[in-house]
Amino acid sequence: MLHDFSYHRPSSMKEALDFLAQNGPKTAVFSGGTDLFVVIRAGVAKPAHVLDLKGIPELGKISWDKTEGLSVGACVTINTLTEYPAVREHFPVLRSAGEELATFQLRNRATMVGNVVTASPCGDMGSPLMVLGGEVVLASSSGERRMPLSEFITGVKRTLIRPDEVVSRIVVPPTWAGAVGGYHKLKRIKGHDLGVVAVAMVRKENTIRCAISSAAPTPVLLPDLAATSSVEDVQKKAQSMISPIDDVRCTKEYRSFMVDIFIKRLMKELEAAA
Amino acid sequence: MKHVKFTLNGKPFEREVLEHRTLLHFLREDLGYTGTKEGCGAGECGACTVIMNGEAVNSCLVLAAELDGAKLETIEGEAAADGSLTILQDSFDKHHAVQCGYCTAGMIMSAKDLLRRNAHPDRHAVIEGIEGNFCRCTGYEQIIEAILDAADNGAAAEIAERTKGGDNA
Amino acid sequence: MLDQIPASELKHVGKQTRRIDAVEKITGDATYVSDMILPGMLYARVKTSPHARAKILSIDTSAASAMPGVRAVVTGKDLNFKLGLYVVDKDILAREEVRHFGEAVAAVAADTLEIAQKAIDAIKVEYQELEPVLYPKEAIKDDAPLVHPDLGSYSYMEAAFTPRPGTNIANHTRLRKGDIEKGFAESEWVIEREYTNPSVQHVPMETHVAIVQWGRGDKVDIWSSAQSPFTLRNLFCVAFKLPHRNVRVQVPYIGGGFGGKAGIGIEPLVAVLSKLAGGRAVKLTATREEEFSLLPCRSQLTYNIKTGVSKDGKILAQQMTMYWDSGAYADYAVNVTRASGYSAGGPYEIPNATVDAYTIYTNKPFGTAYRGFGHVEFFWGLERHMDLVAIAIGMDPVNFRLKNTLKPGSLTLTGEKITSHTGDIDACLKTAAERIGYGGITKEEEALAAKTGRKIGKSVVGLHKAPAMPPFTATAVIIKMNEDGTVTANISLTDYGQGTYTAVAQMIAERLRFPMERVKVAFECDTDRDPYDWQTVASKGLLMSGNAAILAADDLLKNAYGDAAQILRANVVDMDHDAEGIFVRHRPEEKVTFRQLAIGYVYPNGNGIGGPLVGVGRYIAQGLTHLNKETGQGHPALDWTYGAHGMIVAVDDETGEYDVLKVVSVFDAGRVINPDAFRGQAIGGMLQGLGTATVEGYIYDNRGHLLNPSFTDNKIPTSRDLPFEVEAIGIECPQLDGPYGARGIGEHSMISVAAALGNAIQHATGAQVTHMPLRYEDVWRAINRKEPVDNWITRSPFGSCKSNPEIGKYQCD
Repeated sequence: MLHDFSYHRPSSMKEALDFLAQNGPKTAVFSGGTDLFVVIRAGVAKPAHVLDLKGIPELGKISWDKTEGLSVGACVTINTLTEYPAVREHFPVLRSAGEELATFQLRNRATMVGNVVTASPCGDMGSPLMVLGGEVVLASSSGERRMPLSEFITGVKRTLIRPDEVVSRIVVPPTWAGAVGGYHKLKRIKGHDLGVVAVAMVRKENTIRCAISSAAPTPVLLPDLAATSSVEDVQKKAQSMISPIDDVRCTKEYRSFMVDIFIKRLMKELEAAA
Repeated sequence: MKHVKFTLNGKPFEREVLEHRTLLHFLREDLGYTGTKEGCGAGECGACTVIMNGEAVNSCLVLAAELDGAKLETIEGEAAADGSLTILQDSFDKHHAVQCGYCTAGMIMSAKDLLRRNAHPDRHAVIEGIEGNFCRCTGYEQIIEAILDAADNGAAAEIAERTKGGDNA
Repeated sequence: MLDQIPASELKHVGKQTRRIDAVEKITGDATYVSDMILPGMLYARVKTSPHARAKILSIDTSAASAMPGVRAVVTGKDLNFKLGLYVVDKDILAREEVRHFGEAVAAVAADTLEIAQKAIDAIKVEYQELEPVLYPKEAIKDDAPLVHPDLGSYSYMEAAFTPRPGTNIANHTRLRKGDIEKGFAESEWVIEREYTNPSVQHVPMETHVAIVQWGRGDKVDIWSSAQSPFTLRNLFCVAFKLPHRNVRVQVPYIGGGFGGKAGIGIEPLVAVLSKLAGGRAVKLTATREEEFSLLPCRSQLTYNIKTGVSKDGKILAQQMTMYWDSGAYADYAVNVTRASGYSAGGPYEIPNATVDAYTIYTNKPFGTAYRGFGHVEFFWGLERHMDLVAIAIGMDPVNFRLKNTLKPGSLTLTGEKITSHTGDIDACLKTAAERIGYGGITKEEEALAAKTGRKIGKSVVGLHKAPAMPPFTATAVIIKMNEDGTVTANISLTDYGQGTYTAVAQMIAERLRFPMERVKVAFECDTDRDPYDWQTVASKGLLMSGNAAILAADDLLKNAYGDAAQILRANVVDMDHDAEGIFVRHRPEEKVTFRQLAIGYVYPNGNGIGGPLVGVGRYIAQGLTHLNKETGQGHPALDWTYGAHGMIVAVDDETGEYDVLKVVSVFDAGRVINPDAFRGQAIGGMLQGLGTATVEGYIYDNRGHLLNPSFTDNKIPTSRDLPFEVEAIGIECPQLDGPYGARGIGEHSMISVAAALGNAIQHATGAQVTHMPLRYEDVWRAINRKEPVDNWITRSPFGSCKSNPEIGKYQCD
């Protein structure tokens, strides 16, 4: 059971942005609803309006070109993303993380944009997008702005999005295209679970990049490291930057420990794949 | 209220729906299609799985207002009007893939969706295909066996045939 | 009964048979209470306590009552009824004090669910928080605050339970066998350890739901997703002082229960709302979150075991102390304590034993029956202990078990003599060991270990359980022949997935010599129309209702033969029957069909004789007694079902991550009535046991708030969590008083799975886990002997062997 709200399904970007310009603070924007309707049901969010983006054709687009990179519209589902040939070819880390996200049914609705805008520390798409230098494109009736994901997410479920804005798409620049990559996630069961702690890593030429989820209020992106770095160096760097907590899912001690383990495993895996 | 037109198991529907109504509650309480169950209301258990526009979704996290133009498939559209079971359903029966029955509708819809995507899944693919559907009774083993056996007995072809015929989509 | 008939002579019993309830469940046709909407029905919601223990200073319901569409608002002060299965200790709504997080303090019925929720949100409750009682062992100290200061004034079932007024002890079960001091003195080794496990939620896929209509003249109709319609009716009538004939309980299909729906739950509250709303039907459906704390859970247990062992590995003495955390109310927890008390030693012979099992009130959601009825919890400790003792004394754990198993002539803890018909625990253990290749590592396992770096561990554990029930537990079955010669059986044991109805139908078909298609066991139960059954619990359904069904079939045949004897002018002893009808054996052409007899035989001239054919079968447990309250001696067990699990795991000893490669579950079922249903119970229960073993459990903060009341943080096994290979094997050592020799196995599949995991992990890595569940982190902590973490899940990650050096000669930590 959800509280009363009104449902809006604009058929153009302009219509959506005009609505938000008027009603932004009282409106929750959604595409998949896999997070929104959970928090509404729990009484955590009480929007007066919900704005369904799925009627806007361009937001359902996913595309790849060598210059801009990968562009993933707000309504592109995780299943569409992980099946998209360019993702499989150029960004295996996205596929690896996408396939770890929730269940098949939920991935039919959940979107990468939604996952990022929710900005949960345990969101699965944050750390892989950070290692790839992903950027969000924010649209409002006053225009468009663009920023790296690492700037966009500012805290636990906090981002720089304004109430009159939508994230229309995420752009993954071609810089890391072709990088081998992987995503390791600690779960409490073998089936679907939130990430108790997770590490995303890519390796291209002589550089590796690593980001960590569920170990700080936001995903933590490590500075670029030489592929020749020792496992211990990368682990030491990671440990200096994360700030895991104790909670019902895990202790900070084990979270820290598993970050080191995942770094070790990923470095070995990526070295073999490179 | 929102006006929506959609098909449910191949039959046209036109309704005024409450804007905050979930698809699950709309099916169960407004249309009386109670075959689809609620296990958690939060997208975790899969009991409410239906197929919408050819894709399995948790109907507890979909709004009825989103239905305009949609093609919905629910458990009520599976067995034929004369009561004869689909190959998949019969396989569930044969393999004791049912105990309390509360997860069964969602489980069958997930299995149907899987067989539509993959006519001959291996054991691992079946396990992945029903990962989003909790079953507290069976321990899944007989469900997995039922789906594998159904695939061997032409369940995917039957699903494709019925989809083409507009019978349930 | 009928246990001597060889399998080759049976047509239905023991044969592959489809479930009689599958089609309606597979098509979505089966109607559960959650699906039902009655004319004019109102919807209820409940206001629950955010505190574990608090005084209710005031409840302001004025805004809620004033809302349009609100038809009834109720708080505890309006309700002076006490509820309780064994100890009558619970109010319908908390009255002066809330005793656990999630306890109901007010409720509303309204035209729609949305209005009801708004009204609940508008109810203002003022609390004064009190220091909660959370730790059972602290709760029994003299200065502990009392959860129930009025315990001395509560009524309780005196034949079975011993509450201690002025304490938090809701029951103390005591058992004394032999001379424990002598036993310890003669022991070569004395080893003592403590094992713990948290509370766990049942997670039926259908949450608790009830519709009640309190009509004029105090006629009450209840539709509930309940396991035990008659017990529900009885407790309801006792609480409201209504004659039983006034109350009708109907139970359609049930979406799982696992013990959580065994007694009485939300029905009285819904009934009160209906009465206040002028007799309109009211429906209350628990949300998944409410299922965790408004409704009961499985009790937490701390189990201390001290074992004395002879030089050659025979157990000589065992002192067993159980601290059962009942939570805020006694409910079934007192009986879990009692049943676990008399089973506490497992399927092993212990000549000198003491058991002290305490049910302790705390300010937490209360404990109730859960598949295994205490045995999942205490076998975690017991079967871990068996391995630890074996390792400590340098004996192979399986040989140690086999040396100590109950054998014909052995005396159980309560002094019951084991016979050759009790079952064969040795066969269960040996089969499990053989099927996992115990004692060796296969080439494949070796290759896997080499490839993954994981360590392989194998374990074999035993288990047993008898139904926990009053010694005079009874049931009845009525079989009615329909006009066409088919039969319909009425039974008020419920089938919420176990498959008992299918098994009962098979037995009826067997006895009547009918094809299965001619036998219906009616699914919806109705206390107005069905014969009595005590409760659907305890794995007693197959045995007791099976026997009653056989007796009912025989009774129906007796009536039919009586009619046929007149019609055919023959002697009953000279007659026989087949599926079609009854005939004279030496003149088989002289035959009267069941269709002719079904509703009374009619002669060509219109005369009729006989009348509608009905058979009644009654069955009551035989020869059982109450237990002596001082010594625990007596005969509590209808039957003992033995079993064993063998498990293979592969553990990463660096991180504690593990895979369960294989589980083999073996049960002495007496006779397997339906092989597929047997397998479904075996594997389903095993995975539920593995859920308990690996991840499930309530986590509280130190104020008693439940921190994980949802699937987000209370995970249950998914299809991916199934072990790579599972096997279920039935041993058939017939139960003389079981139907066709059968005994129940419904709960047994879940028992000892956790210990199998703990033992296999220890064999792989040396990790001495004494607390379950075994999350990867817990295994990691145990391997590395890290300090315990003080929440209810990760406490006590490694063992502490506290043997007393003066008595024992072995000390491990």
